[in-house]
Amino acid sequence: MAKIKNNKDLIALSEKNIKENSKYSKTVTICAGTGCCASGCLEVLTELEKELKNKKLTNKIKIRATGCHGFCEQGPLLVIEPNNIFYRHVKPKDVPEIVSSTLENNKIIEALLYIDPATSKKITKETNIPFYKKQERILLNQNKLIDPCNVNDYISINGYSAFVKVLNTNNPENIIEEIKKSGLRGRGGGGFPTGRKWESCRKAEGSPKYIICNADEGDPGAYMDRSVLEGNPHAVIEGMLIGALAIGAEHGYIYVRNEYPLAVKNAKIAIGQAEELGLLGKKIFGTNFSFDIKISRGGGAFVCGESTALMASLEGQVGEPRAKDIHTTERGFHELPTNLNNVETWANVPSIINNGAAWFAKKGTKDSKGTKIFALTGQIQNTGLVEVHMGTSLKKIIYDIGGGPLKGKKIKAVQTGGPSGGCISEKLFDLPVDFEALAEAGSMVGSGGMVVMDESTCMVDVAKYFLTFLVDESCGKCVTCRIGLSRMLEIITDITEGKGTMEQLELLFETAETVSLASLCALGKTAPNPVLSTIKYFREEYEAHINKKECPAKVCKSLITYKIDNKVCTECNACLKACPHGVITVTNGNYIINSDTCTKCGICFDTCKFSAIKVN
Amino acid sequence: MSDYVNITIDGSKIKAIEGSSVLDAALEYGICIPALCHMKDVTPIGACRICIVELVKNGKSKITASCTLEAKEGMVILANSAKIKKLRKNIAEMLVAEAPNSKAIQDIALRCGVTTVRYPFRNKDCVLCGKCVRVCDEIWQSKSLGFVGRGSERHVALPFNVRPDFCKHCNNCIDVCPMTITPCPGPMKKGEEALCGLCESQLYMAEEVPDSCVDCHLGESFCIRAKN
Repeated sequence: MAKIKNNKDLIALSEKNIKENSKYSKTVTICAGTGCCASGCLEVLTELEKELKNKKLTNKIKIRATGCHGFCEQGPLLVIEPNNIFYRHVKPKDVPEIVSSTLENNKIIEALLYIDPATSKKITKETNIPFYKKQERILLNQNKLIDPCNVNDYISINGYSAFVKVLNTNNPENIIEEIKKSGLRGRGGGGFPTGRKWESCRKAEGSPKYIICNADEGDPGAYMDRSVLEGNPHAVIEGMLIGALAIGAEHGYIYVRNEYPLAVKNAKIAIGQAEELGLLGKKIFGTNFSFDIKISRGGGAFVCGESTALMASLEGQVGEPRAKDIHTTERGFHELPTNLNNVETWANVPSIINNGAAWFAKKGTKDSKGTKIFALTGQIQNTGLVEVHMGTSLKKIIYDIGGGPLKGKKIKAVQTGGPSGGCISEKLFDLPVDFEALAEAGSMVGSGGMVVMDESTCMVDVAKYFLTFLVDESCGKCVTCRIGLSRMLEIITDITEGKGTMEQLELLFETAETVSLASLCALGKTAPNPVLSTIKYFREEYEAHINKKECPAKVCKSLITYKIDNKVCTECNACLKACPHGVITVTNGNYIINSDTCTKCGICFDTCKFSAIKVN
Repeated sequence: MSDYVNITIDGSKIKAIEGSSVLDAALEYGICIPALCHMKDVTPIGACRICIVELVKNGKSKITASCTLEAKEGMVILANSAKIKKLRKNIAEMLVAEAPNSKAIQDIALRCGVTTVRYPFRNKDCVLCGKCVRVCDEIWQSKSLGFVGRGSERHVALPFNVRPDFCKHCNNCIDVCPMTITPCPGPMKKGEEALCGLCESQLYMAEEVPDSCVDCHLGESFCIRAKN
């Protein structure tokens, strides 16, 4: 690859790539993100490559394996351009038909089309699918257009033009001013204004300065950073380059979880390609600006997503947070000014520079601008990645884009912001999703996880789940987080086992407040949110567990019993065979579950086709 | 010559040595902010959270540990607000439930106003204040002790659980440990842990002595008598 030396070279390269791509009559875009890989997209890809080779179509049809498209529920996904035909749940055995009908003869295969559950109609075009139609996909759309391992793809969609633009003008204050005007706020959780962070890091004394991209995403059920880094690593690199120029940093790190092998691989390839093109390295484009990026793989500690713990881990120390009375922008990595931003924040930077601050500031609410990616998961029709304007109501995200509850259920709450966020009751679903509104409701935007829960979920059990996660992931350094959280778990376990008292509930509340106010780092400070918010919105569930000794959602094992209704029972023996502990017996034609030895695994309940097994 | 910065703690204007922590500056002036993991001349880690104070800035207050907070010109600190007292009491309650067998912790709990312990006692031997680890590392430059594990599994251990050759046998780790001060009525038996409250009478006498306490309203945050 020849080095790029100026803007002209970049434009020439971009035009060359566009021309090269235009010789193909059709492009098959296949999602090769981690989600689709798990549902078997790689087999489809190899099959497709083989089939095209056999039919000698390789010079007419281009296959592009891209990053995550977002509609993970329906994977493996395949989009055929220029007609925008959308196939879902594609299997290797479908490939020959796709090639012979759709690619050669423009015939649409009905069986692979998406069916809208609301109208039961088949939808051919991807853009017409409600899940996509109602989103504002700026970052995620780029994922579909580029092969993450091919820098030329990124360059042909205007990639690196923002960096070249700011490098030519070389006015760092202007960049910071532009980012400030755009109103971009950190996408990692706290929502700190990015421009102000950059400014304080630029003004801080010390050299060299560092830039870190935080890709240590550890929230259960959240994977937007992974998808961006996997699918569009060059946007992150370009954002970091722009940031480095604005701040005056010389070195950059991408701290990524080792559990994201594809993200590590793609980021590595992307850095290599950027270096080859002369976009990273010493004296870039012959200017005085030098910048390099290294990848550091995290060992999987949740707490290492916290900035000071991350920096300690990067230094080779134990990943433990320290007091943040002095900001990391002044004294961070190796006691030097360090600017840390989340993957999504960095990836947003190039489009702000290209389209102007006003373009970005137009979207969103008064204090929260732009778009944000959310990972929609849980008991909902359409799980996947959703990119919407800040300030979109929860109702729109959950019902319009997410397709609402699973069959016959009713949505009860949504947990936003992962273990540090809170549960928001269905009554508040008109709430706009922005930093302030969610914080006021006792939750947070966080990195953008959204776990939807329906009525079959016990909120006390949810709080217990998150507490268990946090007790495991607390670093154990400070008393409030280590002891406080374990005490909270102790109390909540008592409550779910029917041993709780109202005094304990008050103590739980008091401990939660102490932990949230007095802890050392953000992990401890936000850790009680799931408990505090569930007490706030679902106090009656806690009270039912304590006073009536019952679990309204019939989840907490100590408070439920399984019984067979012999009037409904058809004596099919299915439960008898399924029970792993052999506790179901038959006496005089009556089927009885021995409640003393029953482990309440629920297998009999799931097996019974006649709803003869009742939960009390 | 050290430079000084002016800070305000609970309304008293004091001069703190530049670069010193708020806690050190307060103790220098006889303003009692209780602390467990704090030690003179070693790096503060902010682990015990007993020394929390309110830092008031632009009309907003932020709660932070005073041992890790560097004194800066014009800082306004509330070391004894109702909010801080309540939090401190709760933290002391957690600590004493964790290790009731320590006189130092019983003492702190008593002074922070803990009268009943609502958490079940755990009777642990260590509250991970990290004094031993830091004294070994920083004063003796030995690094024979360290923290191992994460979260509830975190504990202090020797490298591979064997006393290393570079251990200087100074026994400082034992001297500084808050668990090694002999408890007044002797070690508590398992299942019989309680708030002993016996040091209350001695504490009263100690505070009458002007040398150890300025005995002013500032002592409130850590004084049994001013509570009433």
